[in-house]
Amino acid sequence: MHAKKLSPLLAVVMGLALAVTLFPVFWIVMTAVKPPIDWNASPAIWIPSDPTHINFMTLFDPDAIRAYGVGGVSQSATKAVWGSVRASIIATALSVGIGLFSAIGITRYGNGSKLAPLIILSGRMFPPAAIAVPFVIIFSNVGLIDSYAGLIAIYTAATLPFSTWMLKSFVEDLPREVEEAAMIDGRSRLMAHLTVTIPLIRGGIFATTLFIFILNWSEFMFSLVLSYTNISTIPVQLARYVTATAGTLYGVQAALAVLAMVPLMLMGYLIQSHLARGMTFGAIKQ
Amino acid sequence: MQSNRAKIDTLCAEYDAGGMDRRSFLKKMGFLGVAAVVANAVSLSSLGATLAFAQISGAEERAWELAKVAAAKATKKTLTLLIPTGSIGNMTPYVDKWKNELGITLEFIEEPDEVVHTKGMQEAVAKTGRYDVMMPTAMSYPDWIDSGVIYDLTEWTEKYQPDLFHKEWGVVFPASHHAQLYNGRVAGLLNDGDQITLLCRDDYLKNPEKQKAFADKYGYPLAVPSTWAEYYNLAEFMHDPANKFYGSLEYRSPYYVKWMFMQRLVSKGRLYFDGDMNPTFNSEEGVAALEDMLKMNQYLHPDAFSFTWSSNYNAFGRGEGFMNIVWPSGFKYSKAPSTGPATTGKIAATVMPADTLKDGTKLYAGLFCWGYGYAVSRYSANPELAYAYAQWMTSPTIGADAIPYLGGYSDPYRINHMLKPTQRLIDTYSPEYLQTLYDNMVNTVPDFCIPGGFEYQDALDKQVHACMTGDKKPKEALDDAAKAFERITRRIGKDKVKKSWLALAKNLAEPIRKASGADKWS
Repeated sequence: MHAKKLSPLLAVVMGLALAVTLFPVFWIVMTAVKPPIDWNASPAIWIPSDPTHINFMTLFDPDAIRAYGVGGVSQSATKAVWGSVRASIIATALSVGIGLFSAIGITRYGNGSKLAPLIILSGRMFPPAAIAVPFVIIFSNVGLIDSYAGLIAIYTAATLPFSTWMLKSFVEDLPREVEEAAMIDGRSRLMAHLTVTIPLIRGGIFATTLFIFILNWSEFMFSLVLSYTNISTIPVQLARYVTATAGTLYGVQAALAVLAMVPLMLMGYLIQSHLARGMTFGAIKQ
Repeated sequence: MQSNRAKIDTLCAEYDAGGMDRRSFLKKMGFLGVAAVVANAVSLSSLGATLAFAQISGAEERAWELAKVAAAKATKKTLTLLIPTGSIGNMTPYVDKWKNELGITLEFIEEPDEVVHTKGMQEAVAKTGRYDVMMPTAMSYPDWIDSGVIYDLTEWTEKYQPDLFHKEWGVVFPASHHAQLYNGRVAGLLNDGDQITLLCRDDYLKNPEKQKAFADKYGYPLAVPSTWAEYYNLAEFMHDPANKFYGSLEYRSPYYVKWMFMQRLVSKGRLYFDGDMNPTFNSEEGVAALEDMLKMNQYLHPDAFSFTWSSNYNAFGRGEGFMNIVWPSGFKYSKAPSTGPATTGKIAATVMPADTLKDGTKLYAGLFCWGYGYAVSRYSANPELAYAYAQWMTSPTIGADAIPYLGGYSDPYRINHMLKPTQRLIDTYSPEYLQTLYDNMVNTVPDFCIPGGFEYQDALDKQVHACMTGDKKPKEALDDAAKAFERITRRIGKDKVKKSWLALAKNLAEPIRKASGADKWS
């Protein structure tokens, strides 16, 4: 099949879409390397003439920004970065793991419980702000407040409806017959799912994992409400970069945002081949 | 010996100026080899400020004695403070002292300032006991007291005498009442004198060409504005957008714009409610205030619609405007060469402009907006120690010492901070500005320091902003805000809000009470 030539109009529209999409990323990256005087300059400075790595250094050494006469940063971002890594990875694994078997259960054994998927989804129908405070009370009583176990539990609960529903659609698109063929070959139901269903929908699993990881990685409300001093995550740390002497530390915030992008980009890059497959899985119905 | 003598003189001068407490003075004199008895005699002599400072340190010493007793009894040797992000700079200088002398570790939990109120309400239901001291704005006290999350401090204040209302070094009236009391009871101890004042570029005011041109055009001398009409004329005259220099900065951005309206409203002698909790801002005066703001928009900095406090300060510090309406921290910013490169040494400040009332009199009214204070959590394991911290930090002496530290929001709030300042306060603010702060503060009207205060403010803010962006006409916007106010009052309970509102209105400056009719409310 020959590739069609891109028309000039389509090329312009695509270029425009790309520019608009990438502008925030460009701006964040540029701000991350701007010295304090350029953060909020008017007119805006697009590309800093004197780029600096101080904003990145300040993330882990709060005094680094003093090189520019700006003080008042009191916390290192180390704890927040590791907190995000730990909570997001574990919660994503739990959410996708439970969601996968839940999806298989609903799709393959869901007789008489058609409401189950809807009930699972209803967990997402409450805004986080509405359910956060009751969770504070519950978690306080059971000793989960201000702990990673509590944060992971709530992240898993909050993303499980998404993972279940996404994976359910992938399982539904897989012909039941391939699992039955495996069982005819002597495999148990469980083994048929482990050796046939899961490998065949792995693209969908990767796509779901990435999506759930992004949700957990960028979650703010629960992390803010359930934390005191023991736990911290990147989105909450971002909101803390305000000082009395320099106001909002846009450069340091941008540096942390750039750092926060890295795992997502890396993950997206590593699983891109599966991602394309996962996203298009079932596009052509049997 | 000569250099020791110089050091002794410097120490005495610093002590006289109120730059250190008596304990530190004696300790340092001891280090210099001056016998304790001599040092003590100097510190207690009747020489000017030395005696005053010895008297003034009573609240600090009483708090420290209580802290020593409470710390010795405490099983938990950590005092945890919930504080707004960006305020820590005023507290960290004392961490070592509390650790070394009392064995108490100060632990700070920093949260974004807009979250502190919510965190407090959350603690009311969660009752974790994680916080000992909480640092909200005065608007949080009603909801926090009613929800039982903080102590009523009245009995402690009666026992340990923080000198809140002392005529020489108490918190300046009426902020002493409306930023610390709820229904006449002490809910928190103020540690931040948030009020807005007006800054002008002094170098432009002193420019002979501009002086002549201004006098020719307006018929009166070029000077800081004393009325809103003069403020408008100055903005018009100085506005020079071709050179990126604007008449004024102010705020038209969401969250900040309500204060610009509230300030103008109170200058016109109107408060937010009447004596029976009916909203009064959708009156002729309220509409006029919004129209004034709309008229001013043409002379504002183009970023006024997106300003936060820091971007506003930065723009003024870069020399992009002639006037600005700011908190005292804005003055600090503009004065410091690092943050106000274009304005350092070039600022004239004045109290908020007056408006002319219907009877022809001028009314000077300021706005006390925001203003942090220390409250004591009901779920604290060591509430007396937490109270001792609050009294110690806000005492006339430690307060004066803490305010000038950079990296914190705290601004002068006691009479001695402004009228008998230490050298460090003078260096940070300037004698003229400290006097301006005092003159403005005595006429301030409080924020919505009543139950549901944040809800009232948000409702007003949304409508004022809608008007500024042209989405609503002034009267329509204010009527919509009034309807929202009535709903909030109904939900919270009219009697409850009214009681609190009348208590606030009772403690306004007399000219404002008279102009607004509050002097006749029962």
